[in-house]
Amino acid sequence: MSDGIYWIASYPKSGNTWMRSFIANLTNEDEGEVDINEFNTGSIASARGWAEEELGFDIGALNHDEIDRLRSVVYSQTARRAEQCEYHKIHDAYTFLPDGKPLIPSDAITGVLYILRNPLDVAISFAHHSHCSIDQAIKNMGNPDFAFGRGSQRQHKQLRQWLLTWSMHVSSWADVEGINRMVVRYEDMKLKSCQTFTAITRFLQLPDEQEKIEQALNKCDIKKLQQQEKEKGFNEKSAKTASFFRKGIVGDWQNTLTEKQVEQIITNHAEVMLRFGYLDSQGQPLVEPLEMNSQLLANSCGKDISGAKK
Amino acid sequence: MPMYYAFGLNIQSDLALPGLPLSDHAEPDVTIELADINKEGLEDPVDKRLYFQASPDKFWLHVPGIAWFQVEEGKRIQVMPEENSDMQSVSLFLLGSCLGVILQQRQYLVMHANAIRFGDQCVIFAGPSGNGKSTLAAAFHQRGFEILADDVSAINEKVEVMPSYPQMKLWHDAATKLDIDTKDLPRVRIQIEKYACPLEKGFCNKPLPLAAMYILGTHNRDEFLLEQMKGMEKFDPIKNNTYRMQYLEGLGLNGHHLQRAGQLSRQINVTRIIRPDTGFQLDKLVDVLLDDLQTNGIKV
Repeated sequence: MSDGIYWIASYPKSGNTWMRSFIANLTNEDEGEVDINEFNTGSIASARGWAEEELGFDIGALNHDEIDRLRSVVYSQTARRAEQCEYHKIHDAYTFLPDGKPLIPSDAITGVLYILRNPLDVAISFAHHSHCSIDQAIKNMGNPDFAFGRGSQRQHKQLRQWLLTWSMHVSSWADVEGINRMVVRYEDMKLKSCQTFTAITRFLQLPDEQEKIEQALNKCDIKKLQQQEKEKGFNEKSAKTASFFRKGIVGDWQNTLTEKQVEQIITNHAEVMLRFGYLDSQGQPLVEPLEMNSQLLANSCGKDISGAKK
Repeated sequence: MPMYYAFGLNIQSDLALPGLPLSDHAEPDVTIELADINKEGLEDPVDKRLYFQASPDKFWLHVPGIAWFQVEEGKRIQVMPEENSDMQSVSLFLLGSCLGVILQQRQYLVMHANAIRFGDQCVIFAGPSGNGKSTLAAAFHQRGFEILADDVSAINEKVEVMPSYPQMKLWHDAATKLDIDTKDLPRVRIQIEKYACPLEKGFCNKPLPLAAMYILGTHNRDEFLLEQMKGMEKFDPIKNNTYRMQYLEGLGLNGHHLQRAGQLSRQINVTRIIRPDTGFQLDKLVDVLLDDLQTNGIKV
């Protein structure tokens, strides 16, 4: 396969932008770092403009459910027309339309790279990003009806995105049957960068020479991303927060979350946290997740999630 | 069959077109009729996309769940509604994409922009859906300025903007911000919370010369930015804010369009106006724009 859409899928604040920055730098021939405002790796799935360009009529006159029914057609069409691999970000959970068909149809999937991150760290970053308290972020991550852009009294720039709970989001993507998929953990990208990114580039049909990977990783080092953001701002940052590229560290929860908050997250997400090595066999949280290879991550459980939202 | 009037055209229609004024003209420039349309599309389209097909003089559109449309030679729109669709939805797409094609086929430069009267001229404010064109038009209207168009501006060969029809379309939140009570207003489509606000006063019904264009945008900083474009910089924003640009290639109008966009870029000022994306500081935005218009010699 050498064309179609690779989806870079994740719950928000789990390393998606870092991954896109890596892809942009890896595929860029120039010596310097790619401008953080010009990754141009491909539109996010929820981009209104993508759907409007393909459909050719005003989707502003349609409601969320009507738009959802058309989104799957848009992705199939884009995949059909793609002359090379495209890499599109997606924050939607893997959901199904009322007719039982998936929002992201299989003919629009060349591959899915699903990135997950310890929910204990996601909660902090998500609170920061959403300009809300950590408790509110924890509540949102545990809400099966959680969605971005679901209001109906104005036109949102992005289309509605069902996130569901953090656990449902992870399982929805990790358990889709019959697709080409790789699941990676943010912590492995951080702590075992070379090994993890090499596997990723092979999966995504990108150049896999060590030197190139190291160069690209160097160019998208969090400090460099922070520096760029400081100098010129980052378009994807929400207006209410001070910066998008914050700490990017593994295990920040130890210093930031209260015991009660840690407990609440574990209560909400124990099963999925255990499955992906974020809890030990006693159910205690781990700073460095248990060793797991990516194939194992992808295929360790094949449970049916067809009962998930929509 | 009633005769309506919009964009300088007398439109005779089988379907009711809410919001359009009636015309007493006898001869139609455009007819809209219910007809059988081939669900597969055109016989030999130059451009065949998911839901639209185009060739010179002929355009075909399917809006799933609503209707099939065929638009010919800038003169005729045929409509075949889907079984369970409502006429309100059909007429909404008719007045959007289909009337847009009529104007393109008639060789207007059709911009995704509102148009506001300042003195004896007008200025268009462009941007993709969701960038606040209608809201801004409504804010200018409340300050006493006349509106020519709230979403689509058709520019003729003389570089005049044609008046569309006396109606603004506002989302619930925008109406609330403007203290407009939506309680008694009809929705533009029953399925969405967007309302049709008739313009009883404050609609300009004659073409006016275009003096300038502003491109509406937002950013995540707490400041208003104005960037006046120079020379060739003006070309891309004009091109990129063309209404339904993806239709033009199949319609065989790409060359003509680029030429018109190029001409326009030499004739008017083009300025990018970027506002903070938190809240919609509408009054401030209007103040900034009025100030900039005056600085550029446009009488407000």
